[in-house]
Amino acid sequence: MNNALADKALWDLRPGEAATVTGFGDALSVSYQGRVMEFGFQPGTRVQCLLNPGFGAPRVYGISNSVFSLDKEIAAAVFVTTRPPQEASS
Amino acid sequence: MRRVLLLGSPNSGKSSLFNRLTGLSQRVANYPGITVDVASGPMVNLPDTELVDFPGTYSLEPISGEEAIAVSFLNEALADDHVSHVLCVADATRLEKCLHFILQVIRECQHHQKPVTILANMSDVIRDNQLQFDPAGLAAALGVPVISVSAKESQGFEPLVECPAEGAAPATPPSRNWRETPNEILRGTAQQLAAQFSPKGDVLINSQLRLDRFFLSTALGGLAFFFIMFLFFQSIFTWSAPVMDAVEALVSGLGEAVVPLIPNRVIADFVADALFGGVGAFLVFVPQIFVLTLVIGIMEDSGYLARAALICHRPLRVFGLTGKSFIPLLSGVACAIPAIYAARSVDSPRQRMMTYLAIPLMPCSARLPVYALLIATFISNDTILFGLVGWQGLALFFIYFFGMLVALLVTGLVSKASKNKHSEQPFVLELPPYRLPTAKPLLRNAWNRCRQFVTQAGKIILAVTMVVWVLGYFPNGGADLGESWLGTLGQFVEPVFAPLGLDWRYGIAILTSFLAREVFVGTLGTIFGIEGSEENMLPLVDHIQASGLPLGSGIALLVFFAVALQCVSTVVILAREGSTRLALSMLLSYLVGAYLLSLIAFQIVSLLF
Repeated sequence: MNNALADKALWDLRPGEAATVTGFGDALSVSYQGRVMEFGFQPGTRVQCLLNPGFGAPRVYGISNSVFSLDKEIAAAVFVTTRPPQEASS
Repeated sequence: MRRVLLLGSPNSGKSSLFNRLTGLSQRVANYPGITVDVASGPMVNLPDTELVDFPGTYSLEPISGEEAIAVSFLNEALADDHVSHVLCVADATRLEKCLHFILQVIRECQHHQKPVTILANMSDVIRDNQLQFDPAGLAAALGVPVISVSAKESQGFEPLVECPAEGAAPATPPSRNWRETPNEILRGTAQQLAAQFSPKGDVLINSQLRLDRFFLSTALGGLAFFFIMFLFFQSIFTWSAPVMDAVEALVSGLGEAVVPLIPNRVIADFVADALFGGVGAFLVFVPQIFVLTLVIGIMEDSGYLARAALICHRPLRVFGLTGKSFIPLLSGVACAIPAIYAARSVDSPRQRMMTYLAIPLMPCSARLPVYALLIATFISNDTILFGLVGWQGLALFFIYFFGMLVALLVTGLVSKASKNKHSEQPFVLELPPYRLPTAKPLLRNAWNRCRQFVTQAGKIILAVTMVVWVLGYFPNGGADLGESWLGTLGQFVEPVFAPLGLDWRYGIAILTSFLAREVFVGTLGTIFGIEGSEENMLPLVDHIQASGLPLGSGIALLVFFAVALQCVSTVVILAREGSTRLALSMLLSYLVGAYLLSLIAFQIVSLLF
């Protein structure tokens, strides 16, 4: 898994759209990279954008049965690919 | 006494499990050196075993100061010989967010040679939604026992109440050594285990999403937010009012019954004024704190608090605050004291400090009698727009708005001035599932908060009340406040207030109002010789108008009261929750700020009128 596979950032996903996490941008500090990975946003994990409340508010993402709210600063530094899971993991 | 540590990530049901395992017989204490609550209590059926409930944390790699303190406290506890066992709670329906923490805990426990058991909570949700979960398989993969439990239904605890106390483990699987495993490997293992053992399907997320689509939608979510906030205010101002009145009546009745029995006049005056008058005034806030803690607890346990933080995050961030600051600020409109307690939910120390800076500037209910007196004295009661809008109501609205504006300006400026590359913490928040809150733990928590308030702040408030009473009572036995040491002090500080057009009488009233803002009205009533001025302000309004106090001074007083931190209780709680340095610097800077702003207001109004 690496960022070369990424075709967009998590923040760019539309509500209902799913993607696979590929990696993180340098804008996100190592400690926060660790924290979002602990939440389950690990490279290779399938994530779905559930809601966009609008007005620049943090967006809502689902991983398996967990739901998290991430602001632009974090979500724009999490890279994802919208390719099918098998293709994304190759 | 043996100790068992209870760990777990937030929203894993740890508190409910703690309540079940201890039968709610807990005590909450601020352990020395840390600023987070650590509850403990004897385990049901194992009275010689104390269960210690650690604050929920997502990881043993801290990203905030508060987490760092909690983790270091955990390391100390693990080194304690009295600790015989560690219980680590996981939400079995959301293993993906718990497994890395579980692996870290197992590794640390192996370092300290402490046995650990995983409590996979929410077995009731697994059963009701026909999800698949394999505790035996997970136990084999982790190398530690995994027990499937339901805190909600109190099921699955049988193996627990025996083994931890014995230092043995139930159905111990072949051990695996994690001692030297680095965090990166633990993360990868957690991901593999989550893929293998997490219940499959998205049935839980779908039911949560239906409610989130409503509560987080731009239009309906906004309306729901305002309606919930309306109920919140009603609970603080209206629903707690009868109980506050009852406490006030009880304190006053007790005073009337006890004071005549005291033969010595000085002691009788002290008991009447300082004990029943001063401390009684502080006890009146207890019902408000109870209701506030209860309502915030309901919002938190139901899952709505996290949604409210999300909604408010963006606008508050502009001013150096976070969405999590919203509830403390809102509480501050009622009273700063419970609001400061509520600020514990702000996990970033920097943003918590910003929240502390803003809270005392929120227009609290203690300011209302002062505003009411000054507005009635200086602002016409005429109306405009066919009687729909009154000048006095507008003035009250503006002075409330002014306080909030100053709060946001202060946090915005301080945040900007102290900004560095580490200062902005990104916002990441778990949205817990919506749940129906359970009454008993909520009531217990509200009771504990009130007890803490009375026992900890009460001692200091009593001491300050006594000092002010002595200064106001001697040397002339309370006959004339103007001749007392406090009166002498008032005349001594008169030159300070003279540039605002205020004489010594207002100087004394301002000085005594540092005990509590509303004391300003009572003190002026005493000086002008009017009894019961707190209940009926009209005679006092007439006296102030007759004293020739200019409009500029009235506006200056309004501005001063909007900004100054005149509340001993707030300063004490700020020192306890934040630091003495923070509390004293806020006291001083808000005092200087209030003085300068009121001086500017006085000059402008005097020039214009």
